[in-house]
Amino acid sequence: MKVDETLPLEYSTEENQLKILGFWIFLGAEIALFSTLFAVYFTLENRFGTGPSAQEIFHMPPVMIETILLLTSSFTIGLGIHAMRLGLKKAMMAFFVITLVLGLGFLGVEIYEFVTYVNEGATIQTSAFLSSLMTLLGTHGLHVTFGLFWGTAILLQVRKRGLTPETANKSFIFSLYWHFLDVVWIFIFSFVYLKGLMVL
Amino acid sequence: MDTHHEQQFLILNEPMILAAMISIVVGGLSIFIGLTYFKKWGYLWREWITTVDHKKIGVMYILVALIMLFRGGVDALLMRGQTAMPENGLLDAQHYNEIFTTHGVIMILFMAMPFIIGLMNVVTPLQIGARDVAFPRLNSVSFWLFAAGAGLFNISFIIGGSPDAGWSAYFPLASLEFSPTVGNNYYALSLQIAGLGTLMTGINFVVTILKMRAPGMTLMKMPMFTWSVLITNVIIVFAFPVLTVALALMTMDRQFGTKFFAMQDGGMDMLWANLFWVWGHPEVYIVILPAFGIYSEIISTFARKNLYGYKSMVISMVAISLLSFVVWAHHFYTMGHGVMVNSVFSITTMLIAVPTGVKIFNWLLTLHKGKISFTTPMLYSLAFIPIFTIGGVTGVMLAMASADYQYHNTMFLVAHFHYVLIPGTVFAVIAGFHFWFPKVFGFRLNEKLGKLGFWFITISFNVAFFPLFILGLNGMTRRMYTYSESTGYGPLNMLSFIGAVGLGIGFIILVYNLYWSIRYSPRDESGDPWDARSLEWATHSPVPVYNFAKVPKINELDAFWFAKKNNESLNDEPYEKIHMPSNSGMPFLMSGAFFAAGFCAVFSWWIPAIVFTLLIFVFMGLRSFEQDHGYYISVEEVERTERELGGDKE
Amino acid sequence: MMKQLFPKQHVMGFIFSLALSVVALAVITFDMSYKMGMGILLVTALAQASVQLLLFMHIGESEDRRTLYTNIGYALFVGVVTILGTLFTMIWGYQIR
Repeated sequence: MKVDETLPLEYSTEENQLKILGFWIFLGAEIALFSTLFAVYFTLENRFGTGPSAQEIFHMPPVMIETILLLTSSFTIGLGIHAMRLGLKKAMMAFFVITLVLGLGFLGVEIYEFVTYVNEGATIQTSAFLSSLMTLLGTHGLHVTFGLFWGTAILLQVRKRGLTPETANKSFIFSLYWHFLDVVWIFIFSFVYLKGLMVL
Repeated sequence: MDTHHEQQFLILNEPMILAAMISIVVGGLSIFIGLTYFKKWGYLWREWITTVDHKKIGVMYILVALIMLFRGGVDALLMRGQTAMPENGLLDAQHYNEIFTTHGVIMILFMAMPFIIGLMNVVTPLQIGARDVAFPRLNSVSFWLFAAGAGLFNISFIIGGSPDAGWSAYFPLASLEFSPTVGNNYYALSLQIAGLGTLMTGINFVVTILKMRAPGMTLMKMPMFTWSVLITNVIIVFAFPVLTVALALMTMDRQFGTKFFAMQDGGMDMLWANLFWVWGHPEVYIVILPAFGIYSEIISTFARKNLYGYKSMVISMVAISLLSFVVWAHHFYTMGHGVMVNSVFSITTMLIAVPTGVKIFNWLLTLHKGKISFTTPMLYSLAFIPIFTIGGVTGVMLAMASADYQYHNTMFLVAHFHYVLIPGTVFAVIAGFHFWFPKVFGFRLNEKLGKLGFWFITISFNVAFFPLFILGLNGMTRRMYTYSESTGYGPLNMLSFIGAVGLGIGFIILVYNLYWSIRYSPRDESGDPWDARSLEWATHSPVPVYNFAKVPKINELDAFWFAKKNNESLNDEPYEKIHMPSNSGMPFLMSGAFFAAGFCAVFSWWIPAIVFTLLIFVFMGLRSFEQDHGYYISVEEVERTERELGGDKE
Repeated sequence: MMKQLFPKQHVMGFIFSLALSVVALAVITFDMSYKMGMGILLVTALAQASVQLLLFMHIGESEDRRTLYTNIGYALFVGVVTILGTLFTMIWGYQIR
């Protein structure tokens, strides 16, 4: 395998460059996927039938906690990649661990939020609005869950094999994924929660 | 509705389905016994099931497509047979519903798509001078996911019952309330699995074409087929996620009681139609654009001229790729939205005819003053132009929203889209099949039989589908399983049936040609039997596993053609060792887990479905921890292979 | 060491995105028109997405940057068309309610 020393480790082989580009294109597909879910949500958001409306069930405090957790995790994984580029394996691993812990915290709060909804009588079967809301949030949440397992797998490989072109490439791609989930969350935060609570 | 179709696991009381089931079991058993007897299991596993070679994956795609063409063709014959006479009793209403549904799904998603993707796989890396696709292992995953989806869809008619709400599966008809069998669960889950594979193909080919072209081959020096593949895969990447979402919502509505498309609690049934066509219209271009690429290659090869208006071809394809995303609502003008919506979508629909028209003129001007040789692939390409134009013109008629109120859901529409898809896609893949067959297998298909098949198919096609235009204008709606004699639809339907039988004969000739040519066709030594233009003809036929012993260097469009004419070589450097990806059985096994999970989910057997889903993740985990750096083919081995294949190429 | 591990750009980006979230909160704390609120949300969300894309995801660093921008541009085109087109077809332009 040809290794180009002038590039950062994650770009250093042809295969690595292909993988990074491929993953970006996958993220393009993910944009289309979440756009469709948003389209469904916007179409159905005022169609709550006999169930509760957005104004009635949204509470800002847990949402703010989720936002801060995810924004911070996006920051720390950025620092992790930065440390990786400096060749600091330990620092990189520490930042990745912090990222995953923050992600776990996000997921915990989101599960709490869902349980609250269900206790208030707002289930995924109650109305079209709730079906679309919970599917949009759930799809994002499943992505985060998948990311937790994926990140752990990469972390184990970095620990065992060190920073090689392969592991660096995987870590970088994982960071792209994690940042992307943050972007999606920003849109959920703005156009689901804030828009839903706007006093008209 | 027929109650005996509900809640039944094995469908045993339908004589036709029972016969099909018995023949599948007998066929499967004989294949099993044959493989065991001739000790071919190891060969099958090593050379095909675990392969990551784009050429072999392409061949497998095309093989499945041909089998599905047969299955979808039988469905078509049954439909035309049922409607050949007024008040015919060949099929009952329920069975007819199932058959037009499976015909549509199979022909679009399990015949046209794999045929196109198969040709893409075989040809694209060769045309750009690459050794394989960007992600060979992923390519194998794509194929096996597609195969798992196709398998899952096809077993529905024996186990549990087929979907019966049309290939577009509109709500509320496709809801649990009106389609209570598991048929539409099959629909949602099998298309989901196959669609995942297609999405991966999309990413794979975009990266392959953007990053793996031979040195010197800039984007504007790529062969037109490669261009069409690039644009097609861009559409795949951005359109298939919409299908993924739509199908997931369908599954949730039917199996988890959500209310997306429900008729109470705020649901919106037509939202399904909207999502379906947001994906569905780009999908039409996904199967048409590569066909345009195939025709471009064939027409310029056999007119012995370079393609007229290369740049305008590229620009029109890019325009189509964008416009294809903004026309979808023309599929449901009659839904009840306002004048504004219908007007906007009318205009965008008519706009998309412009770049398509540009291409027609490009082909005509390529033919102009060319030295045309009338080979089988060329005949299909020439027939395509006028027939497709009829399809296009009737499409513009349908594009006018107010007029569409008259044509909507009549046989006129059915005739229109068959006039687009059969010359546009089916003729193209058959032409491409004849054209590239010698590249893969090292000998040509028989020309005489090929031409006989061509005439049968082309004439019968028109006999089968032209009457449907008239029937539609006379008021015959689509999807009606029978009609009374007083409607007067009888004679034209009979004519159409005769055409359908002729088409069937044409396809049998095609398959017979395959058999005949394998046995008797002379082997081709040159690697370039058509005296063609692009890089795939610069290497041996059949193509060695590494494609090119030396990666060609390119300085212009059709560089191979000019090198050939000037007796130049595309690469004078010595051989180097070649890096190749290693085979793996994991994609096949993982797709098996997908199939099993999908099958259990169809019947809402959640615990096994979850177990198999976890198995999928186990495979992904194994892959993550796997360390596989491929292998090298040594210089000596390359030299030996090249000698055996008849000397240095390029 | 701390300086090395916490580059200024990243820290600034993080503070900026937190600040943008707080600004976005204005739409529920203050009384304003729907258009005004949506305007604020659009600006803050797009700014945050750009911070992630440009700063944290390093979209502009490789030789493929043009491809990446085209890719994101195409995805946004399809996304916007899907969202606005669906709303146009199913709500704004719908006759029968």
